[in-house]
Amino acid sequence: MATLELNQIVKSFGSVDVLHGISLSIESGQFVSLLGPSGCGKTTLLRIIAGLEAVTRGTLRIAGRDVTDVAPENRDIAMMFQSYALLPHMSVRENVRFPLRMRNRGTRKEQDERVQATLETVQLGHLADRMPRQLSGGQQQRVALARAIVSDPKILLLDEPLSNLDARLREDMQVELIELHRRLGLTTVFVTHDQEEALSLSDTVVLMNAGRIEQVGGPQEIYASPRTGFTSEFIGSANLIPVRVEETAAGPRATLPWGEVIAVAPGSKPSHKASLVLRQEDMKLLPSQTIIPNGFRATVETRVFLGARIRYVLRLGDMRIKCLAPGTDIFGPGDAVVVSVPDSRAQIIEA
Amino acid sequence: MVKAVPNTLRVFASLFVALTLVFILAPLVVVAGVSVSESQFIAFPPSGFSLRWFAAIFDSNAYVQALITSLKLATLVTVTATIVGAGAAIALHRRRLPGTSLLAGLFLSPLILPSIIFAIGLLMLWSATIGPVSFWALWIGHMVIALPYVIRTTLAVLADSDPFLEEAARTMGASRWQRILYVVLPQCVPGLAAGAFFAFNISFDEAVVALFLRTPDLVTLPIQIYNQLEFSPDPTVAAVSTLMMGLTVFLIATLDRFLGIQRFVGT
Amino acid sequence: MRDRVEDLALAGPGILLLALAFVLPIAEMLGLSILGTHRELTLEHFIRFLSDPYYLGIVWRTIYLSLLITAICAAIGFPLAYVMARIRPALRLWLIVLIILPLMTSVVVRTFGWMVLLGRGGLIPFTLWKLGFVGRNFTLMHTEAAIVIGMVQVLLPFTTLSILGVVMKIDRRLEEASRTMGAGFFATLRIVILPLAMPGILAGSLLAFTLSVSSFVTPSLLGGVRLPVVAASIYDAATKTLEWNFAAAQSVILLVGVLLALTPYIKLSGRRHG
Repeated sequence: MATLELNQIVKSFGSVDVLHGISLSIESGQFVSLLGPSGCGKTTLLRIIAGLEAVTRGTLRIAGRDVTDVAPENRDIAMMFQSYALLPHMSVRENVRFPLRMRNRGTRKEQDERVQATLETVQLGHLADRMPRQLSGGQQQRVALARAIVSDPKILLLDEPLSNLDARLREDMQVELIELHRRLGLTTVFVTHDQEEALSLSDTVVLMNAGRIEQVGGPQEIYASPRTGFTSEFIGSANLIPVRVEETAAGPRATLPWGEVIAVAPGSKPSHKASLVLRQEDMKLLPSQTIIPNGFRATVETRVFLGARIRYVLRLGDMRIKCLAPGTDIFGPGDAVVVSVPDSRAQIIEA
Repeated sequence: MVKAVPNTLRVFASLFVALTLVFILAPLVVVAGVSVSESQFIAFPPSGFSLRWFAAIFDSNAYVQALITSLKLATLVTVTATIVGAGAAIALHRRRLPGTSLLAGLFLSPLILPSIIFAIGLLMLWSATIGPVSFWALWIGHMVIALPYVIRTTLAVLADSDPFLEEAARTMGASRWQRILYVVLPQCVPGLAAGAFFAFNISFDEAVVALFLRTPDLVTLPIQIYNQLEFSPDPTVAAVSTLMMGLTVFLIATLDRFLGIQRFVGT
Repeated sequence: MRDRVEDLALAGPGILLLALAFVLPIAEMLGLSILGTHRELTLEHFIRFLSDPYYLGIVWRTIYLSLLITAICAAIGFPLAYVMARIRPALRLWLIVLIILPLMTSVVVRTFGWMVLLGRGGLIPFTLWKLGFVGRNFTLMHTEAAIVIGMVQVLLPFTTLSILGVVMKIDRRLEEASRTMGAGFFATLRIVILPLAMPGILAGSLLAFTLSVSSFVTPSLLGGVRLPVVAASIYDAATKTLEWNFAAAQSVILLVGVLLALTPYIKLSGRRHG
């Protein structure tokens, strides 16, 4: 368990910069997600923390010690790989013992006890003598997890560890990861491209885009107050509508491209070039005659049935926006509707 | 049901495959047949059945000497080519050396460049720099031919292994030597074993380099057979040849038993 | 940096071996080919070889026999590989093993088998005589036919496996698509499979040709001294008449020919392996 400080980390492959000066400070015991689309640099950043990739510029401290030039084997970290990287010629027990053996932790007997205890933690005590290929994907994943926590590392690094599991196992493992983290309190850095996973697991979400940190914050904060268009689009795939914001006696008002005016979140600053962030699930569709406190008119263009919910594509002037509604609202293509938006959910960001 | 391939064509295809197999296997069957013939003339089909020609091998000093030379040579080549090939394959697989693909081309080129060309060069170079050719010249020559097989089979199994094993080992505290010893080499084992089989077989069967580098005291089994064929073949040649084929069959069967031959035949 | 040192140490023995025992010998051979009796630079060995009708005859024999052998191998190898690609995997594995078995048997042993089959009183001439195709018992040994038969058996496995590797990668649905569009079995084979298999056929043929022009044991034993090929001529110069510079010059000529054939081969097989 230790703090992790990244200071102006720059990484270039040849002439291509993949990380442009990343600075980040992670407190001891935090569970941090590096979230972003593929190619945003999150995996490279994780590999830099592990020491598997050298930095081009910048420094990196683990528990206050500068480890920028320290080899991965000497950083006292643990990493769980997307492919699990279990050693196929070693049994489960030997795989989990491997980090202790390489680091000469304790006697053989102490190592064995520690391995057995760790395997019990992930409910694999009974499979200790199996070979990795004899295990299911979910069991292999647990072995990899056991191997990562057995040596009590300063930092635990997880590279999309759940992406090879099917949806149900994935949910189970998410719960288990949360509990494990609560129990062990390991400083954990978790790479994922799945925003739901990042929001549900972490204390802090680091949203990355194109080699830069887009926004850092708690899951609630990132979700509720996106500071950039990218954040709002990536988290919850919101609609972005260019608007002009003016302050009125009744509060801030935004003028939509097709002329309608709606109330937006209190505190929004006046601007000629701003974007209105409308989350798909924050809008409510009502029949066109309905009187609503705040909103605008639209026409249904397409309807996609998703089971519990329905996704509508709405046309407003020459724009299209998407909207998620409960499965019971039935509108068909061509129907005129009004879209109700609570002003607190109409966030404004600078374009 | 409509058949995609007409029945007559199926029959024709089966016949074609069968005839081709007969053609490919004919010389081997014939040699085996001659070796168990009672007749003291080489003739096929064999007349009678006798194992006396196999016994005759061991009465012949020339054959016994050649057999010993070949076994010594093939064993030495197998061991050294496997060790050297393991290192080369690991380095090529990691692709960290500049010009790796060029290096890979160099390592595999003895596979496609006819051995007669390099055999004569080796003969000339050895004579010019070291002196009369010896067992060691033959050892070096066979190493060059066997090495690409070891490298190829080892690269094949490494390509199938999880590319993150070494990095995972690093994050678990394994040093350079520990990574090679505990992680990389165990991955190589099936490829090295297959490569060793090929290396032994090639060195034991090879006739071109051995022919160029032969001296009266340095005759391998294939060269001894070649000499006999040039002059006065008798059924003993067939018996020796049959032994060699038996060894090849044994090697292929062992390879298949332990490693599965599919992995190493390229399809 | 230390990674490179480590990898260099691993590959070092192999690099050293190939440099000293493969590259250097070929360089030595190149050097000797242009040295005269008094170690002066000269092209006399090349001129001697290329201006003597006897040696040109050997070259011509080597080339046309190799072309013939290569063509026969491709003609048998393509349908064989196609059939193998379309049968049950278990059966295919057996066929592969049966084809590899001769490949892994010493060429000396295989040639010996043909000597028995083709010689006077051998199974093939004897059968032809009994069936009335020929007037008397005769020998096929020391004929060009014997060389071709023996070499096709030696090289057919190479060609077949090379073509098989490519045919196995052809999507079966292409054939099915072709059939649904009205092409018959043979039309599909000709219009769809053959063009797609062509890289494999060419690569296999180039390999077979290279091995054929440089082969020594089989042509020498089956063709005898009156039908020498280039490799036999090199062998004689190197070990019998001990004209090493002349042997080196002939090897250089063979090497140039082989490299000409190998350049497209490397391109073809390189593209195939991606």
